Amino acid sequence: MSHLSISKTGLLNTGLVFAIAMTCWSPIQAQNSLAIRGGKVIPVAGESIENGTVLIRDGKIAAVGVDVDIPVDAKIIDATGKVVMPGFVEAHSSEGLSQANETNPNVPYISVMDGIDPMRPYFDSARRNGVTSVAVVPGNSTMIGGQAAVIKTGGEFVEYMVLKRDAGMKISLRPADQNSRMGHLANLRKALDEAKRNSDKEKSDAEADPKATDKPEGEKAKTEDKKSSTSSSQAKDPISSELTKALTQVVEGKIPVFIYCDQAMDVGQATRLIDQYNLNAILVLGKDCHKAAKHIAQSKLPVILDSQLVFWDKDPRSDKEEKIVVTETFRDQGIPFAFQVARANSGTLGNNYLWYQAATAVKYGMPKEDALKALTMVPAEILGVDSFVGSLEKGKDGDVIILTGDPLKNGTWVDTTIVNGEVVYERGKDEKLEMLLGNSQQR
Amino acid sequence: MRHKLLTCLALYLLFGSPAIAQEEQGAVLYSAGTVYTMSGAPLSPGQVLVADGKIAAVGKEIPADTVGNAKRVELGEGSVLMPGFVDAYTQTGLESGKPDEQSKELTPRFQAIHAVDWKSDNIQKHLHDGTTTMCICPGTENVIAGIAGIIKTAGEQVINDDHALVASLCSDPASRNSSRQRPDSIYVRQPTNRMGVVWILRNTLSKESKELDTANPVDQVLEGKRPLFMVSRVSHDLTTVATLADEFNFQPVVVGGQESYLVTDLLAERNYPVILSGTTTGAMFGPEQSKLCWNQAGILDAANIPFAISGSRQLEQARFACRFGLDGEKALRSITVSPAEILGIDNQVGTIEPGKDADLVALNGDPLEFTTAIEWVMVDGKIQERQNTKREAKGN
Repeated sequence: MSHLSISKTGLLNTGLVFAIAMTCWSPIQAQNSLAIRGGKVIPVAGESIENGTVLIRDGKIAAVGVDVDIPVDAKIIDATGKVVMPGFVEAHSSEGLSQANETNPNVPYISVMDGIDPMRPYFDSARRNGVTSVAVVPGNSTMIGGQAAVIKTGGEFVEYMVLKRDAGMKISLRPADQNSRMGHLANLRKALDEAKRNSDKEKSDAEADPKATDKPEGEKAKTEDKKSSTSSSQAKDPISSELTKALTQVVEGKIPVFIYCDQAMDVGQATRLIDQYNLNAILVLGKDCHKAAKHIAQSKLPVILDSQLVFWDKDPRSDKEEKIVVTETFRDQGIPFAFQVARANSGTLGNNYLWYQAATAVKYGMPKEDALKALTMVPAEILGVDSFVGSLEKGKDGDVIILTGDPLKNGTWVDTTIVNGEVVYERGKDEKLEMLLGNSQQR
Repeated sequence: MRHKLLTCLALYLLFGSPAIAQEEQGAVLYSAGTVYTMSGAPLSPGQVLVADGKIAAVGKEIPADTVGNAKRVELGEGSVLMPGFVDAYTQTGLESGKPDEQSKELTPRFQAIHAVDWKSDNIQKHLHDGTTTMCICPGTENVIAGIAGIIKTAGEQVINDDHALVASLCSDPASRNSSRQRPDSIYVRQPTNRMGVVWILRNTLSKESKELDTANPVDQVLEGKRPLFMVSRVSHDLTTVATLADEFNFQPVVVGGQESYLVTDLLAERNYPVILSGTTTGAMFGPEQSKLCWNQAGILDAANIPFAISGSRQLEQARFACRFGLDGEKALRSITVSPAEILGIDNQVGTIEPGKDADLVALNGDPLEFTTAIEWVMVDGKIQERQNTKREAKGN
């Protein structure tokens, strides 16, 4: 139905008889149209368009181009002289959580969905800096840290913000407390082995119960509960099933794992685990991991870089310091990557902004188009949400940012941030920014 | 008339043609897309002639007879040359990171210069980031900590080993004091709170003002012969700085000044220069819970208060100052000529002008863009830090 009305209005000029328009558009639909016109559109997928229009309908992008017919009662944002881009996608962050790490080292059953606080200043800063989607992932200090979710940055209640609920499981290879890496890995394998046994048993149970296998993939999950209760004779109580389910899905490759590698040596361990348990993995790298760039390139795994892109590394023998530019190292190996930002503290200068990370990469030789992809398309692909976000293409979510000028330029600010077709940030109404810039009366 | 011409000729023969002189000293002519001299409008294109560690000439196109046989270096399209940065307040390079004397609260005769570790990696990093001159100061945990020294970041060159006296009018001397826990240790000191800090300062100043001893650095401050750096951050401390300065009639330089934007009238009236430090995009609050304002520099500038941006990554700080509201040219001044003026060494560094030290930073684009990289840093005519060697090799 909605497709029909698009094609109909496509034949109409915007100024045409109102009555005809009324027959094509129900008032609700019309209210949900938003047209951003007059700006330079950088869709990321494809060439940039001067004086282009982005039309969003019912929260989705309906059209991108020069000759876009705008419904008569669409809300219009004039972006003349401005740049229109897809919202940025942050591939890994714990900033949206009220607490990033669970003290228990093995908590595959917990989910960030229960700990995201949409009121945290992080979300203000994200919208102000053009981030519209973020993968909220448990911190790096828990062995099996729980489940991540990809959410939108606009909203007050996490249920309405979620884009992908089962975005992945967080596993950290950094030993907690006094543990050695040997002990840490042994504990991790023990947990994964158990999950594997559960998975194998479920499979054999399913084979014994052909009705379950007939069901399509989507319904399997629903039957699982019933299944576990029926097979309780096999000493498998429903509570432990619920607790291990998430990890079982991990070893079955159904949900990805974010594997945090603290040291370069952890990368080898990560690839070993990935092979051993057939994991669908994303590498979250600590700053030391640039030393394992060759190995990472061979593994062809998706990579999320540490927030420190440029730093000095001291050679333990010669005591000589060498400047490391992580983006340069990874580009030399042909490894595509997404960025992370630093937790904001008093020493932070710039790298708490995602766009600044891309600017730094450009400073050290990355072509600007590639850097913009690393802010949008690359992380969307890594997170498996590229059919929804990451570029301005018909059918994707209406997550759009309007910039005052070219992206990555010093003087450029996010003017408007739009999530699912709704304006969630306007610079002109950003009182906190005014306060930070010392322009408000509170001074 | 004829007599005059002869004199000219004689003078010419006596001093030789400039070209010959430069050839002997290995002069180099650098041609860049833009030269920010910081002593006038940017030259685009521009040339800088470097000879004998000094800037011999600067201009859009330096005349051929001045250039002579100097080696020519083309920095390429879009390239930029600007003066090396001057850091007016730092503890970088102080030996093993111990800038504070713990046994006494007043150590006015201690000199930072004697604790400089010339081989320090931190000085190297500072140089790498474009800083060519820096004023090394003792720490903030003594009420009067000692004397700052001004050095170059390369060549172990001292510009002034006996510069400003550094005093703290903040809670640092009080916060470190742990006398309550360990009454029998060297930490038994006053003060333990901010009132004590001020009392000790006032007491010292009033004692010295009664009986002037010209060799005493505190007395030299009172006589107006030595600058005084006062580390002061929150607005009520800045007010106290003014109270003391009015009382004892000296002219301080404010260091830190995180809340200086709140007391611009007071600072502008007295024309105190402010050395800002540690620009951040992270925290809302600075040291001593000072309320930070991103556009601090822009507000000081609007109030006509002289200021400099100091600390690590000066160029990056200037870029953010510009982003947050400071005029672009002023942002570049705040890390070059302005700190040089505050330190009183603007006859030697801070701008690209004939006769000044050949301290240069070469960049591959607009210095205020985050995407612009430093190509190399020159101190006293010698290129010290060649960067982006990888990119050069790749022909980018």
